[in-house]
Amino acid sequence: MILVGELSLWIALLMCAWSATLSFAGGRLRRTDLIHSGERGLYAGFGFVVLASAGLWTALLTSDFSVRYVASFTSANLPTIYKISAFWGGQAGSMLFWCLILAGYAALATWVNRRDNRALMPWVTGTNALVLLFFVATTVFASNPFERLDWVPADGRGLNPQLQNPAMAVHPPLLYLGYVATAIPFGFAIAALITRRLDAEWLGAVRRWSLVSWVFLTLGIVLGMWWAYVELGWGGYWMWDPVENASLLPWLTGTAFLHSIMIQEKRGMLRKWNVTLVVTTFLLSILGTFITRSGVIQSVHSFAQSAVGHWFATFFVLALVATIILVAMRLKDLESPAQLEAMISREAAFLYNNLVLVGIAFSVLWGTLFPILSEWVRGTKITVGESFFNAVNVPLGLLLLALTGIGPLIAWRRASVANIRKQFAGPAALGVIAASALFVLGIRALYPLMTWGLAAFVAGTIVQEFWKGIGARRTMYGEGIPRATIRLVARNRRRYGGYIVHAGIVILFAAFAGMAFRKEYDVTLRAGESTTAIDPFGRRWTFTSEGLSEFKALNRDVLTVALRPTVEGRPLPILTSEKRQHRDSRGQPTFQPSTEVGILTQQRQDVYLVLAGAIGDQAEIRINFNPLVAWVWHGGILMAFGGLIVMWPPSMRRRRQEGYVAELAPQAVPASV
Amino acid sequence: MRSRRRFVQQLVGGAGAVVASSLGAQSAPPPSTQMATDAYRPVLRPAKAGATPQVTDDQRDALEHRIKCQCGCILDVYTCRTTDFTCSTSPAMHRDVLRLVAGGYTEQEILDAFVETYGEVALTAPKKEGFNWAGYVAPGVVLAVGGIALTVLLRKWRAEAQRAAAQAPAAPLARGAALPGVSDDELARLDRAIREEG
Repeated sequence: MILVGELSLWIALLMCAWSATLSFAGGRLRRTDLIHSGERGLYAGFGFVVLASAGLWTALLTSDFSVRYVASFTSANLPTIYKISAFWGGQAGSMLFWCLILAGYAALATWVNRRDNRALMPWVTGTNALVLLFFVATTVFASNPFERLDWVPADGRGLNPQLQNPAMAVHPPLLYLGYVATAIPFGFAIAALITRRLDAEWLGAVRRWSLVSWVFLTLGIVLGMWWAYVELGWGGYWMWDPVENASLLPWLTGTAFLHSIMIQEKRGMLRKWNVTLVVTTFLLSILGTFITRSGVIQSVHSFAQSAVGHWFATFFVLALVATIILVAMRLKDLESPAQLEAMISREAAFLYNNLVLVGIAFSVLWGTLFPILSEWVRGTKITVGESFFNAVNVPLGLLLLALTGIGPLIAWRRASVANIRKQFAGPAALGVIAASALFVLGIRALYPLMTWGLAAFVAGTIVQEFWKGIGARRTMYGEGIPRATIRLVARNRRRYGGYIVHAGIVILFAAFAGMAFRKEYDVTLRAGESTTAIDPFGRRWTFTSEGLSEFKALNRDVLTVALRPTVEGRPLPILTSEKRQHRDSRGQPTFQPSTEVGILTQQRQDVYLVLAGAIGDQAEIRINFNPLVAWVWHGGILMAFGGLIVMWPPSMRRRRQEGYVAELAPQAVPASV
Repeated sequence: MRSRRRFVQQLVGGAGAVVASSLGAQSAPPPSTQMATDAYRPVLRPAKAGATPQVTDDQRDALEHRIKCQCGCILDVYTCRTTDFTCSTSPAMHRDVLRLVAGGYTEQEILDAFVETYGEVALTAPKKEGFNWAGYVAPGVVLAVGGIALTVLLRKWRAEAQRAAAQAPAAPLARGAALPGVSDDELARLDRAIREEG
């Protein structure tokens, strides 16, 4: 099976080349036979990538240590679930995993459009096959997971302990599903540019794919934050690490696109801008992968250490140049009638929202790449860390939060003063009252105060919109509140799904602000000793040590400390934190010791325990009180849920009636329709 | 107690064995996976005459948040030393900070001492000077330029819309004269209402 897998990867390479060549030729010569052959080539390519993946999974599950990748990332005693997830635990496997997802998406996009968008599809299939060709070629020539060792070790090195976490089994696939989905809109954009079909047709085809990408990126990013929080032990969930930044970049431009697409749909404006955003989102995915895979961020000199880095850099430059040339050649076709009735209109608000989103993307990219730039220009290494990113991005984030509330309340085309007064009075009052109340309660930090005030304002706009919609349905149809709410959302998925996403954003921002009040305590405790701490809410906590203990688990030695916490005298469940030394099946240590933190989750705060070290029978412990962290996860899930509602396809009956202003009652639709 | 110490020694010894392993590095993304234990360089300064600490404990912790651990992780000294059991670099850097604090040095002098020893890479954010200003200013400049460009563009589009509107209602308004009892103001209001509906 392993040999079959290896051979399949080579055949997939040929299939991609075949599909790209015939699809482009078919599109150019308008020959249906070539187009169909190109599509079948893509389906076959997908099939062979699946076979190659099955081959690698077989090698992982059977612990075939003659394969370098298996020996490097698994050991005989690794739990089965992590043998499966080791597929994306290392570079070569994650490249194949990328190929698998891309091939699946490309085949799906071709199949879904087998009757639609036929003028675009040869170019879409060709572009997707070309992108897939690049990834398969990089996997085969630069990072082959089937590479054999000259000798067969008795056991493998095992999977990095920090990757032995349920979140890590799910987080990379979700992130990859998001990253890779950006390739499909890119394919449509290239096709639209080549065929000069730059009206709303291609946008309709890519909107759902952009949403697929957005939802998976959202889930992937939030799950990554959760993994970092529970696994890395430094007490936070976002460090502006280049890997994190790489995932945020396409999310930001993708979000901008999902807003600006509405302006083109409603008004026919912004053709150039939308093409640019689609292309930029894909290129940022590639750039992000290049940044994280090449080692270029550690130093410009370490770039040469990774063959994959060269491949990605070349592909990125080629794709960028080709796209710029194509856009330049189609500038005339991208001209669109642009008129704006008033500066205060939803169009203008969405455009400013785009400006802020792209501005944040630029600042994140700039901060990520600035160390490289500095080393090039001055020959001096510098670090651009959390404080830089926070200084630049927090004000922009607040501006974005404000626009999240402002945009949806302003009418399309022109908003009158009366309209603005009516729409904003309630939410603005709510924001001011919330900020004032917090000030009176003693909160003086500017950014948290602004964040919570704005969050209350935006929450007010969302509640107001729902309340109006529900009220209208109750009046018209006499429905109860639950039914009216469900039907309101179901009948206007884009609008109210979008509001749910905004509600998730509000919760997320409010939770971020909570971390400004985190408290840290470093203590050293022997068994039976206690320490007291005051949390950010002014409550008194006591932690009593139950002492250190050692034991052996499945594939590791464990040193653990247990604390018995009480809050205001009320006992709470025991908290433990561990240091683990993983070992292979021969008892040899693998990797550096890792930390397992203890977390007591409450809605108002997490109590976060880290065993930092041990001196004799004394445990060195760090205790953090992290306010509102649980709400980060709630907000993230709500955002993804809202995205799913927006993305959910309309029922067949509604789809048939699309384009009609009035909806026919079921009994009015003839049976023959 | 001896057994516990042996366990800790084994943990650290295990780390050494891993570093010596020849199977190549894993591509794990998290911080603190590529530890360089020889990255530590002592930051030594003689204590000032009659030295008294100029920095409180809280200020010292805040200062350590501004100094990057040099073990190869992405954390600052404070976070790394209170998180990473195996890092010997951040505790050593912490001891340097303690020595400098006891020697009567101010926060800025301590930061400067670290920069002299390690270079600017010792700071978690670049100094606000020279070329580094480009790092701080560029996002703001780009956003400001973008904002101005967008505002100019929107004004241009609005002017086009006004021009189109001025031409479009010309015919109906001319006919309006033939409609008895309908004033220009009422026609304009009606036109606005229709546009808002649309």
